[in-house]
Amino acid sequence: MSEALEAQQRLQAVARDPRAYLEQWRQAHPGGKVIGALPMNFPREIAYAAGVLPVIVQDDQKPVTEGRALLAEFYCGYTRNLADQAATGRFDMYDALFMADHCIQLIGSADIVRAVTPQPVFFGMLISSLSDSWAGAKIAEMMGEFRSELERFSGRTIEDHELRASIVAYNKDRQLLRRIFDDRSAGSAVHSPTQLQDYVVSSMVMDPVEHHRLLEAAVSEPASRDRDARVRVHLSGHLCHAPRRELLEVIEDSGALVVDDDLYTGRRYLSTDVDESLDPLDAIGKWYAQRNVNIPCPTRVQHDADWDEYLVEATRSSGAEAVIHLMPKFCEPHMLFYPELRKSLEAAGIPQLLIETEHEGIPLEAFRTRVEALVELTLRKRPVHV
Amino acid sequence: MTRRVLGVDLGSTTAKAVVVDEAGAILASSTVAMGAVSRAGMHRCIDEAVGRAGIEVGDVSGTISTGYGRKLVPGIQRSYTEITCHARGVAAMVPGVRLIVDIGGQDSKAITVDKDGLVVDFAMNDRCASGTGRFYEVLARAIEIELPELGPLAMRGSQDLEVSSMCATFAETEIVSLMAQDMRVEDIASSVHRAIAGRTLALVAQVGRRTPVVMTGGVARNPAAVHFLSRALDHEVLVPEQPQISGAYGAALLAMESFLRTSPPVPDVPGADFIFPRVDHTAAGHSCAGCDGHLRGKVELGAAIPLRSS
Repeated sequence: MSEALEAQQRLQAVARDPRAYLEQWRQAHPGGKVIGALPMNFPREIAYAAGVLPVIVQDDQKPVTEGRALLAEFYCGYTRNLADQAATGRFDMYDALFMADHCIQLIGSADIVRAVTPQPVFFGMLISSLSDSWAGAKIAEMMGEFRSELERFSGRTIEDHELRASIVAYNKDRQLLRRIFDDRSAGSAVHSPTQLQDYVVSSMVMDPVEHHRLLEAAVSEPASRDRDARVRVHLSGHLCHAPRRELLEVIEDSGALVVDDDLYTGRRYLSTDVDESLDPLDAIGKWYAQRNVNIPCPTRVQHDADWDEYLVEATRSSGAEAVIHLMPKFCEPHMLFYPELRKSLEAAGIPQLLIETEHEGIPLEAFRTRVEALVELTLRKRPVHV
Repeated sequence: MTRRVLGVDLGSTTAKAVVVDEAGAILASSTVAMGAVSRAGMHRCIDEAVGRAGIEVGDVSGTISTGYGRKLVPGIQRSYTEITCHARGVAAMVPGVRLIVDIGGQDSKAITVDKDGLVVDFAMNDRCASGTGRFYEVLARAIEIELPELGPLAMRGSQDLEVSSMCATFAETEIVSLMAQDMRVEDIASSVHRAIAGRTLALVAQVGRRTPVVMTGGVARNPAAVHFLSRALDHEVLVPEQPQISGAYGAALLAMESFLRTSPPVPDVPGADFIFPRVDHTAAGHSCAGCDGHLRGKVELGAAIPLRSS
């Protein structure tokens, strides 16, 4: 087996079974601490600088059982899955849990996590309103709290040079991922959406230096594959967890070719680097703010950042002919924004399809029909060049 | 000899087949209720349609399939979704249509089309059988009548009993409860139809209300379903003579455009600049702009495709 293929398989294995990776990591780092970080904006750089492995908690795709009694059905599937992981002891692979967000549904799950897990839980609410004059100071203050809390948890002081090194490690990993995504939006069809999802999810789980080394090996062999005649689509949505792989496969199996996305387990995750030239903590605060400029998030309020404008521009830039919205059921931020997205794409003449996803029960054949119908109507719009 | 093509719509409960000639005229059709997607029912349906057209299956110049079982139909050149096929078929049956409500055995769809009969937008149920043909079957069973009697019975109802239509299973319980209260079956039937129409209205809202409205699918043969949908939309709902075959007819028309055209299409669509010459493609699976598919490497364009220079 080639080194590239071996690395690809390793990344896939980590993405699909984080628990196994964490067990191996603990064996290799006796006494090392692992924290589970709830999405979407936890500053992992601070934790890594403290010698802690920060792992973004994934939807483990298991059926919701005990968690059903803890969070109502009108919470999104991911948050109910988090509650279920907490309630059934599946968070035992973490030494502590951290959250740095403001999504109303994630906050609900954080309360459950705090109530039922024996591990320490730190919930730092990053502000969502970014247009106010005091926003920068509030973000910096919260980043300082994360630093203090992580120092307390790890039992050591985080030096600035350690923070800088951590920033460099995560930037380097994001930059390599971004290069792969940029290649795709520029025309390369080498990587399937499930493969790219595995690359990103494994990055969310692994030590950044180790991940970068493996990813570099995974893409080390020259490969080229141009886009074929399938309809080029942009996947939009799934702001805090991965869409099911089966769904991504059905989309590409139904005549569509994914050329770009703004998924959390896609371009949204790797959109922004931390500025290495600034004071490290200030830079991490600015990273949080800048992420919403680079790819706007509907959980935030910022007058000069619009997801709909971003989406139309992104389709132009990648040559996407259609947009498939992947909206988790009961994702309130996405539901709130969706009418604006729809109107903007309609005005731009871009065909679109809304697929509402659920944690359990995915009607793949019905989705297949709908994607094929989108493909058929988009093909009819293709201009003929003579 | 005039060449013929075949469109086959293999749905969840019924197979439909239509044979058309080079002009797109329906030569014969067949509808076979088969319970669930069934190969035997499909073969019987195809045999009946080609037999009625006075030809053999081997005489068919091309076949396009649609419906949930579209990949099961043998000998096809390609398949299209029922959304595209219903739009194509209904646009030919009722020129000028803008909104199609198709209610089949297990799904319901709302499709908006443009002036050329091309799909603009669509919405369909994907998790729930509420408002589909299956729901009417549940109702007929609960009130112990045959399905064809259901529509006329519901038309005689007068009192609105406000039946929930959210779930076929729970609605059955509700119907039994109403019967236990000695409510008139006419009122129960009409109330269920009214509730289903409300459910369909929600589907229509996803694509936007347009007129003229056409209802297709097996449920369109139920006069009460059409009546209550018309009241819910506050607009006349048109029903083609054979509402069940519109998908198969659309598939046959797409087959006709793909396989029978012998001359380059005339660009009669606004914005069209060119008469596009016939092009031979060699790449397997190639599908170019507006292409209706490929047949042994040869691709031809449909007549209603605007050709633009940029």
